[in-house]
Amino acid sequence: MKDYQLGEFEEIVILTVGILNNAAYSVAIKDEIESRLTRTVSMGALHTALNRMEDKGYLKSYAGESTEERAGRPRRYFEITALGKKAIQYAKDTRDELWRAIPETIWQSNLAGI
Amino acid sequence: MKEKQISPPGLFLSFFRWFCQPRLLDYIEGDLLEVYDRRYKEFGKRKADWKFIIDVALLFRPGIIKSRKGYQKFNTNGMYKSYFKIGWRTIIRNKEYALINIAGLALSITCCILIFALVKHHTGFDDFHENGDRIYRIVTEQHRETVSFVNAVPSPLGEVFRENHTYGEKVARLFNETDALITFERGGELVKIKEPEGIAFTEPAFFEIFNFPLSQGNITTALNEPNTAIITERMARKYFGTQNPIGQVISYNNKIPFTITGILEDLPVTTDIKTELFVSYPTLKDFNPWLASENAWGGISSGMYCYTLLQPYVTPADVEEALQPYVKQFRPTSKNVHHYKLQPLSDIHFNAKYGGAIEKSDLWILSAIGIFLLITACVNFINLATAQALKRSKEVGVRKVLGSLRGQLFWQFLMETAIITSASIFLALVAAYFLVPSVNSFFKTQIPLNFGVDGMFLLFIAGLGILITFLAGCYPALILTGFKPVTALKGKLSMQQLGGFNTRRSLIVTQFAISQVLIIGLIVIMNQMRFSRQAELGFDKESLVMVKLGGDSLNTMHTLKNEFLRLPGVEKVSLCLAAPASTNDWGNSIRFENDTEEVNFRTNMKLADADYISTFDLELLAGRNLHPSDTVREVVVNEALLHKLGIESYEEALGKMIYANGGSMKGPIVGVVRNFHDKSFHEEISAALIATGSDWYSNFAIKINSNTTIATLSEIEKLWQEHYPDQLFEYSFVDESIAQFYESEETILRGIQIFSFIAIFIGCLGLYGLVSFMVAQKTKEVGIRKVMGGGIGHIIWIFGQEFVRLIVIAFLIAAPLGWWFMSNWLQDFAFKIKLDVWTFAIAVGCSFLIAALSVGYQVVRAAVINPAVSLKTE
Repeated sequence: MKDYQLGEFEEIVILTVGILNNAAYSVAIKDEIESRLTRTVSMGALHTALNRMEDKGYLKSYAGESTEERAGRPRRYFEITALGKKAIQYAKDTRDELWRAIPETIWQSNLAGI
Repeated sequence: MKEKQISPPGLFLSFFRWFCQPRLLDYIEGDLLEVYDRRYKEFGKRKADWKFIIDVALLFRPGIIKSRKGYQKFNTNGMYKSYFKIGWRTIIRNKEYALINIAGLALSITCCILIFALVKHHTGFDDFHENGDRIYRIVTEQHRETVSFVNAVPSPLGEVFRENHTYGEKVARLFNETDALITFERGGELVKIKEPEGIAFTEPAFFEIFNFPLSQGNITTALNEPNTAIITERMARKYFGTQNPIGQVISYNNKIPFTITGILEDLPVTTDIKTELFVSYPTLKDFNPWLASENAWGGISSGMYCYTLLQPYVTPADVEEALQPYVKQFRPTSKNVHHYKLQPLSDIHFNAKYGGAIEKSDLWILSAIGIFLLITACVNFINLATAQALKRSKEVGVRKVLGSLRGQLFWQFLMETAIITSASIFLALVAAYFLVPSVNSFFKTQIPLNFGVDGMFLLFIAGLGILITFLAGCYPALILTGFKPVTALKGKLSMQQLGGFNTRRSLIVTQFAISQVLIIGLIVIMNQMRFSRQAELGFDKESLVMVKLGGDSLNTMHTLKNEFLRLPGVEKVSLCLAAPASTNDWGNSIRFENDTEEVNFRTNMKLADADYISTFDLELLAGRNLHPSDTVREVVVNEALLHKLGIESYEEALGKMIYANGGSMKGPIVGVVRNFHDKSFHEEISAALIATGSDWYSNFAIKINSNTTIATLSEIEKLWQEHYPDQLFEYSFVDESIAQFYESEETILRGIQIFSFIAIFIGCLGLYGLVSFMVAQKTKEVGIRKVMGGGIGHIIWIFGQEFVRLIVIAFLIAAPLGWWFMSNWLQDFAFKIKLDVWTFAIAVGCSFLIAALSVGYQVVRAAVINPAVSLKTE
């Protein structure tokens, strides 16, 4: 069985790339995560994650258009590869399996504990 | 929506650019800028800046920072390494080309280094004296019919200047007697040493003006008493070895003893004070009472120097004005009007008028020659490099296609030049080191062997390296990097596109013009020298020996003369002051007949006995020879003297009275001799008279049989030593002494010989390289021509006509230049050759010959090659 390595932040990033579909470039990803999850994302962490996933083959990138605010530097758009899709699917499946395995009672005791 | 440019903090942006992995750089930078732009609009500059900095700081993490051994570095050391490697390989592959270039450059750099060392040596003379800018030497302009310049003054002038004026902080007189015979006892034996630099009667103030410190003794006391002396350490070692020199006694000419009271540190080589024996000034009265007296205003003895250290506020003009009245006071009647001038210390070494070692202009000329040679070598380099350019066009094409920028290629080719230059400089340094002794003997200098250990020199070498690299490297590099990649790769470049024939032509023309000017100079100087040496001087100079007298005794003179005459090898002997042409002569003003005033020209006084005219084979035009006598009874004059007096008929002059030396010498004219050259050809023949007068005799002029010269000379010496046991026997040949008149010309001649050889050599290397290139270019053309029936002569002419045309153009430039230079040079001679057509014909002929020799082999080889072979090339 192939082992799909996907860290927590990586998972968020790759899912966001999926959400943004064809408009997934770093600043847009950052904005999207920040607005949806109300957490700040540093440029450094984001780029590191993107690069790592590209290296693993979950993402691929292509150079896009440039704009005036970017002083002529091109955007780098990301999209999820087939392998990447398998990886998030795998991640979701394992989580779901784990969720399902949790006994019903735990929620109640937990609620009682509050 | 053009807004004002907003930009994040530059320092951090640069920092980011520096550390970021290049692959990511553009994208992330774009992100940063985009976010910054947004924040700027939202929060303002301060906050945006701050956030930008935080962003950059957070980006500084492993995934983003470039790896240390990235595939692409941001400094360009790797590229330079590559340039060096490629350059080195190119040189190794084109050994012939590299060798020609290195040889040519090394040769001219060697010259440059030596010239630099020489110029530096000369400009460093006497620069170590404190207050050097206030030190002056008083010199004399003598205004007669013409103005002449003497670096000496009447001996009392110094004293008068010191006593009557406050201008001089220090004043010191120094009388230098050259060629002194020094004797002293060592181990019970009398040692005789001739010191060519002689002794100097010196006032102690001299050592306060100049920085020559004593190592033993005290200068305030050492030279006060008569008969005391201080000598340099070198002299002390030479005379007394390891003994303590203080208190030892040396004698001048066996007559005047000196006790050594002090020892000077050795004089630096860079001073014009050459004497190393300084004796006390009060002793001068034993040496020459007249010179030491207060009224020796009548004449100037050469060697009588006066130095002064002026007060800080005094200008030389003040002093010159103050000294003016003394001429009227002390020399009221003399026709020879003295003007005393102040010569700055810095001028002494460079003013040939006053006996300076070398003119500043000569140094300029030398420097110009050095630059000339350098340009020639660079021209040569450019020529070869552009010739090579075609070979490298493909390389340039490939490099450009792969993305090389023009600037990068430019530096690459410059690097190659730098390699060649460095190799040449290294060779040149080695060569210069070994050549310094020859330079020293040639220029009579004492440049130390370690001349290179000096900051200024190292700077010069570094500068030279950079200069040559750029001078020689820029043009070829520009040509090479200007290729269009498509044409270069297709091999469609031809010679015409390599920066044009005209550039190349003008380079070759310049080279030829330079060497032709040098050749013209060479021929003219050689002709003039031959003329000076072989022309009729008006007297016999062959096999004539001048032997110095050893004493004043009249009897000994006559006895010795008779003994000499009995020797089988001796033909004639005359007692005289000097040979007809000599640097050691005596000029005087004469008075003619009943005139009340002296004439305004200088008369060369040839005091000699009655055998002078026959010994030197002077030609009597009228009258008779002198009668033997020991005093002045009658005179024989030369044509020039009568001419200057305005007397046309020689017969008419006979019997007229001549008064000389203030009237103390007088006699009627009894004969007239044909003019003889009494000076070098630089000067007109001066008025001269011959008269007997044993007081002035200082030489035997001996005509010897040329077959037995050596044997006769040793017999003469034996007889001479018997009569003058305590003196040193000295002799000189008249023809050799005359040849010494032209010593400086000989030096120039040898210099030009060397330099023209070098220039021609460098030019030849260039030609050789160029013709190899042309031959390679035209191989196919030659093959086709031969197949179509072209003869060998025809093919040689294809190459030859180009060179012939260039040489002719060069000649048209060189001929007027050479003519102008050489007529200026000849201006210095009163008796000179004419510049004739032949000089120029030979120069252009030489150029043709040289060109033919250097291109001949290649051209002929190309011409005789089998067309089947040449057509197969490529």
